[in-house]
Amino acid sequence: MEATLYFVRRYPLGAIGAVIMALFVLTALFAGTIAPFDPTATDAPASLARPGGVHLLGADFMGRDVFSRIVHGARISLAVGLCATALGCLIGVAIGLASGYLGGTFDLLAQRLIDILQSLPLLVMALVMAASLGPSLTNTIVAIAIPLVPNVARIIRSNTLALREMPFVEAARAVGMSEARVALRHVLPNTLAPLIVLATAQVGSAILVESALSFLGLGIPEPHPSWGRMLSESAAEYVRTAPWLVIYPGIAISLVVFGTNLLGDAMRDALDPRLRK
Amino acid sequence: MSGYVIRRFFLMLVTLFGISVVIFVMLRLVPGNITDIIFDSAGFVNPKQKQRIERELGLDQPIVVQYGRWIGGLARGDLGYAYVSEKPAIQEIAPRIPVSAKLAGLALVFSTLFGVTLGVLSAVRQDTTFDYVLRVVSLSGLSLPSFWLGLLILMACVQWFGWIPIYRSTPESFWKELGLLAIPAAAVGFRSSALVMRLTRSSMLEVLRQDYVRTARAKGAPERSVNYRHALANALLPVVTIVGIEAAFLIGGLIVTETVFNIPGVARFLVEAIRWRDYPIVQNLVMFIALIVVLVNFIVDMLYAVLDPRIKFGS
Amino acid sequence: MNSRLGLAAHGGALALAAVLTLAPCAALAQKSGGTLRIYHRDNLPSASIHEEATISTVMPFMGVFNNLVLYDQGKQLNSDDTIIPDLAESWSWDATRTKLTFKLRQGVKWHDGKPFSAKDVQCTWNRLTGKDPDEFRKNPRQVWWQNLKEVSVNGDHEVSFHLNRPQGSFLSMFASGYTPVYPCHVSTKEMRTNPVGTGPFKFVEFKRGESLKFVRNPDYWKKGRPYLDAIEWRVIENRSTRILAFIADEFDLTFVTDVSIPLLKDVNSQAPKAVCEVAPTYVSSNLIVNPSAAPFNDPKIRRAMALALDRKTMIDILSQGKSNMSGVMLPAPEGNWGMPPELLKKLPGYGGDVAKNRAEARKIMESLGYGPNKTLKVKVSTRNIAIYRDPAVLLIDQLKQIYIEGELEVIDTSIWHAKVTRKEFSVGMNLTGVPVDDPDVNLYENYSCNSERNLTQYCNKEVDRLIDQQSQEPDRDKRKKLVWDIERRLAEDLARPIIYYDRAATCWQPRVKGFVLHHNSIYNNWRFENVWLDR
Repeated sequence: MEATLYFVRRYPLGAIGAVIMALFVLTALFAGTIAPFDPTATDAPASLARPGGVHLLGADFMGRDVFSRIVHGARISLAVGLCATALGCLIGVAIGLASGYLGGTFDLLAQRLIDILQSLPLLVMALVMAASLGPSLTNTIVAIAIPLVPNVARIIRSNTLALREMPFVEAARAVGMSEARVALRHVLPNTLAPLIVLATAQVGSAILVESALSFLGLGIPEPHPSWGRMLSESAAEYVRTAPWLVIYPGIAISLVVFGTNLLGDAMRDALDPRLRK
Repeated sequence: MSGYVIRRFFLMLVTLFGISVVIFVMLRLVPGNITDIIFDSAGFVNPKQKQRIERELGLDQPIVVQYGRWIGGLARGDLGYAYVSEKPAIQEIAPRIPVSAKLAGLALVFSTLFGVTLGVLSAVRQDTTFDYVLRVVSLSGLSLPSFWLGLLILMACVQWFGWIPIYRSTPESFWKELGLLAIPAAAVGFRSSALVMRLTRSSMLEVLRQDYVRTARAKGAPERSVNYRHALANALLPVVTIVGIEAAFLIGGLIVTETVFNIPGVARFLVEAIRWRDYPIVQNLVMFIALIVVLVNFIVDMLYAVLDPRIKFGS
Repeated sequence: MNSRLGLAAHGGALALAAVLTLAPCAALAQKSGGTLRIYHRDNLPSASIHEEATISTVMPFMGVFNNLVLYDQGKQLNSDDTIIPDLAESWSWDATRTKLTFKLRQGVKWHDGKPFSAKDVQCTWNRLTGKDPDEFRKNPRQVWWQNLKEVSVNGDHEVSFHLNRPQGSFLSMFASGYTPVYPCHVSTKEMRTNPVGTGPFKFVEFKRGESLKFVRNPDYWKKGRPYLDAIEWRVIENRSTRILAFIADEFDLTFVTDVSIPLLKDVNSQAPKAVCEVAPTYVSSNLIVNPSAAPFNDPKIRRAMALALDRKTMIDILSQGKSNMSGVMLPAPEGNWGMPPELLKKLPGYGGDVAKNRAEARKIMESLGYGPNKTLKVKVSTRNIAIYRDPAVLLIDQLKQIYIEGELEVIDTSIWHAKVTRKEFSVGMNLTGVPVDDPDVNLYENYSCNSERNLTQYCNKEVDRLIDQQSQEPDRDKRKKLVWDIERRLAEDLARPIIYYDRAATCWQPRVKGFVLHHNSIYNNWRFENVWLDR
């Protein structure tokens, strides 16, 4: 409790970010209860209905309620943001830890793999991956996760290398702990701080990459109410007749990504001792 | 030193080889090939005619043979023929490179100019209102989907000026072209300037806490001189790195921007070529992009080695 | 000018004299010069009209070529009566109505300077029927010429087409933008990248994904034409960007039917001076059901699906109520062959009382063991493009009503036809364009047993026989009745039912003159030789 208060006082922007994120997660969890309509139900008379009345944020071309779609879209965005980041981190941690801890041939090979993954811009990589995997929620998550791997692996590896030589690790080894146990019990927890910082920032960027993929026609397919797709597809065509189709999903994405960035920044400041005053 | 350079150079070649394999295999995992596309515009598929085209293009060969042909050609400087236009691939790729290069260059200038200046100011005035405002603005730069931003800019221009800043097929002069590219470049640069600013700020904060800065301050050097002479010079090293890497990675941002502003550059062309399963174009373009990234990394590493005495060579 | 020219042209050979005398006087009113700027909506596959089945190729390249005969560019509605001479000065049928002879224009030159002759015509149709060693890489309209036995040449300026049996609408296939005459001395491969024609505009360059350029052919055989110096196209794939660019006056003309009804409001309010015409696209959204995939091999389920369709709702949403309900042929007023509404209403799925139809459909489904607790799960496949996806989303919503639970499966647009051809789908939503408002073109291409473009491979011998019968029927009214009979059978078999024919607008700036938009085909009015700019 005290720690929370300290965090709020010390990092007010971070606290705002945390609130945004909490709202976002709650919306995603209770989407079914919050949304007044089925996000995929079409309704001819409501086509392009203006905001207000039954349709709080208006309706799209096919008469689907924009508010309900945004609320359900939070689920998709959360899934993409969290799952892609988690998957990317998991693979990255595994590679980085093994590579830093084992060294030798494995390290050499892993480094080359990471070099390869890193020599293409993230979006280019995600684009090729998304195209080869085909459009679906799972595939989009994979396509966004893989390009995240090298960053994570790099950080974990360099931390592991440094930690391996630390006295407490050597001590653990001396008392006869197995290597795997040492790695998981002593080395991994000590690399968590930079990982958390990185991961928080990646959630937002994963959501943005999904929206860019959707814009390029390779993201999550209909009928999933993905924010990126809502923004980029037919919505953009009706931008002047029905601006609410573009403005609200755009605000939703920007707000959530903004939230993750605020939180990520504050966490970095809090966890990185070099930046404290 | 020279041992380090040679080793790095060798590793670079290994990486490039790896990319060529990865992209080659991934492309062939993409469902459908050029013959499907060719028939798509005819609204049917004739299996016999399809087979004939596949044979003509060498797509019936084993994948290893196809790879060998590509790399063999590449070694001779022959990029092959584009599937869709049936022209030499180099003729399709080459004219599009300068367009993207100008856009990326402009965006880079924009992002460095704003990013470094604002980053330094923000660090020097850490935790003031000014700092908060700058940080919020820069964070919002990282939070807006870039195509959304681009679309809003286009709409605003048409609404207020009755004019649309999209690319003309033949700009009359270099300066006119830069003028047309300025708005999209700003849209791309907004995002990377936020990155640069954040990095400059944290790097600057770190340096400001270093002993020699404290010493300078303790010795009574004026605040301004401490900030800008001692600290900035040292804080810039990581910034140079990130700017270098950003330069290569801007290509990612270009994809969306070139699409929104209809700029005929390589980035949009890549998306196009993936959609058309135009293997020669995609493979060679990806290799080209990778080559730039790898080279930039190499140069940055070398620069770092020269600038930062702490890096040991040969390790 | 255009209407006068059109009127005069009716008389065949007589027309020429009239045109020649009229043209110089009328030409005074037109201004020559200027570049017409048009945007293109996507990346076109190739420049060879004969090898493609998409408006993306026809619209820019039709001006490079001439046909033997052509639908009058100045008349809104295409019909047998608006076919006028082009490279053929006149034509005649023999007594058995199985030999059609064209007398060709003399002194016409290809863009590369070589003379045009009857050999070129023969060669073009030999390629179309697979008799030339230099075959087309793909030949999507081969079925149009299935009744053509051979083409013979009498000297350099006369060519005859010999048919297996009489075919009333044979001539109309020559009049489409899809049927240019190709030069014999240029290879089919070259025609894909560097097309050579006899038409008013010469091809200059095609920068893929970027631009297309055509310039005036100074040696065009029609004196005083074209008026324009050049036509420049720019490719803008993003629809919001290109509509904004048109509003900002970057272009003189939009891509054909690119402005959907909801977008039209936008253009009207932002660019109030622009001329926008709403016309049927003659591109249908149609439902494809794989009859070999269980349970859809059961005609009862197909009938239930037909009954569940609520076309009116779809039309209300997709075209804001602007489209007409239609069968296979485009309905009046634009279409010449469509079923009258009172007959259409009797077909399953077209009736006014949707609730009643659906109750009947549910009864059918219940008799097959389905119900609210046991739904039929099915994947509805479609291409990953909005105009395909939107009706598919609506379809899924409607099928819910009869215990069919659809899941949308969007298929990468490049492999759509490949998948459909391999029958890797059970229910799908497809789009099909009809180039000529003629039953032969539409029915043979999409519903006859041996057509490659018959995507569901629907094959009903009786229907095939009726298609042949209507094709030979010289009496127009009798032929219509036959066509309607075929329509009824197709609807009952749920053979690729038409959900609707879309309507959309094409817009141009008021300075574009002499341009007439066709209202019952999007494929036939892009010669641009009569178009001029009033600046």
